[in-house]
Amino acid sequence: MAAQFEPPAPTRLDPVQPAASAGLLVVPALAGCLVALTLGIYGRLHSPTGVAVDIAGFSSPGTVKAWLASAAVVFALVQVGSSLVMYGKVPRIAAPSWIGSLHRWSGRIAFILTVPVVVHCLYALGFQAYDARVLVHSIAGCLFFGTFTVKMLSLTRRGMPGWVLPVLGGAVFALLVLLWFTSAFWFFSVFGVRR
Amino acid sequence: MRIPTPVITLIAGVALFAGLLAASVHQVSGRKAALAAVAASAGTTTTASATVPPAAGPSATTLSPPAPPAVTLSPSAPPTVSRGFVVPPHANYVGKVQGNLGSVAVVVHDTFAIAYFCNGSTQEAWLKGTPHDGKLSMTGKNHATLTANYALGHARGTVVVDGISHVFSIIAVHRPSGLFQSIAVVRGATVKAGWIVLADGTQVGSLEPDSASADPAAQTAPKLDLSTLTAQDGSTTLHATPIDAETGSGF
Repeated sequence: MAAQFEPPAPTRLDPVQPAASAGLLVVPALAGCLVALTLGIYGRLHSPTGVAVDIAGFSSPGTVKAWLASAAVVFALVQVGSSLVMYGKVPRIAAPSWIGSLHRWSGRIAFILTVPVVVHCLYALGFQAYDARVLVHSIAGCLFFGTFTVKMLSLTRRGMPGWVLPVLGGAVFALLVLLWFTSAFWFFSVFGVRR
Repeated sequence: MRIPTPVITLIAGVALFAGLLAASVHQVSGRKAALAAVAASAGTTTTASATVPPAAGPSATTLSPPAPPAVTLSPSAPPTVSRGFVVPPHANYVGKVQGNLGSVAVVVHDTFAIAYFCNGSTQEAWLKGTPHDGKLSMTGKNHATLTANYALGHARGTVVVDGISHVFSIIAVHRPSGLFQSIAVVRGATVKAGWIVLADGTQVGSLEPDSASADPAAQTAPKLDLSTLTAQDGSTTLHATPIDAETGSGF
């Protein structure tokens, strides 16, 4: 008995999707490297002046930077928390509709708060290597802004592999915490928590 | 073409960075220019010429990039321009000497300068002298000497203590870093202690248990609590005063 073969089911043609490609990271990564190198080279070549523009209400430039950096870390913690909720990693908390806005705005505020700090650090102190703490801080500072650039630019492209944003976001956060520990935390522990 | 918002964030950051950097350059060069302008009108001791209202407090200056920076000038010693460098009338410098065999602090306030060298134990000396044209030649007990050139932001020179010569290249600092001193009379002896707080927060300090003698011996000073400016020497509490050119404290 001849088997009756049914004609094969028509193949469904899915719309052509470009393969998720980590190669899309190349341009953002190059931009990030450029930022990191620029900061590091400027910090090394420029003669530190010991002073930069002052901000009223604080007892010294060191306290201004320590408090701004601490505020940036607080907003970065909101960033991490909101990203965990967005990815559904927090049990029993469903992502509300405003979580994306919260994530973006806490990130923008944290980033803007770090800008006066890095201007003062680079202009008044420079890229220093006289002890381990300042060397780690100097390198982490360059890497932080480079990685942040990569993260921002990678958000503008579709088709990135799923691990890109969490890895970049985590790296940015880890670098910021490292920066905070080698500066504000150290400052408050040596000079006391003061305005 | 609509700019993606993350790119707007980056552009905003870069713009703020550039703006603050320009303001810093402007303020630092403005300060130099203000000092140089007053110095150029040699001999005049006015505070009016190149300045706006002086700063509200010792270290709080409002952020105002377009206005010329506030410079508080002393009526007694006009700043000078020497060898192409601007010489400030008031400055605090601290740092380690070459070879890390000790630290030195130099505080210049108008016509008087105080310096202190110490290695945190037995080698230390207080020196004083008159600054002139960006140069210092200071002396202390037991043939201690210090010669230096100083300018806005840095000072370089040599200090000789106990026959050993130390070269130094140090930077200008602000509170909470700087030089601190305490003098107390304990059971008839004058106890004099000095602490140098470096730019990175570490402190070195020595204490002379009998400061009135011609060649006072020294020992490690007890740690100075920077928030209360006190140190415990056995049962005695030492109260330190800052020797700070910006406030004139200690002069």
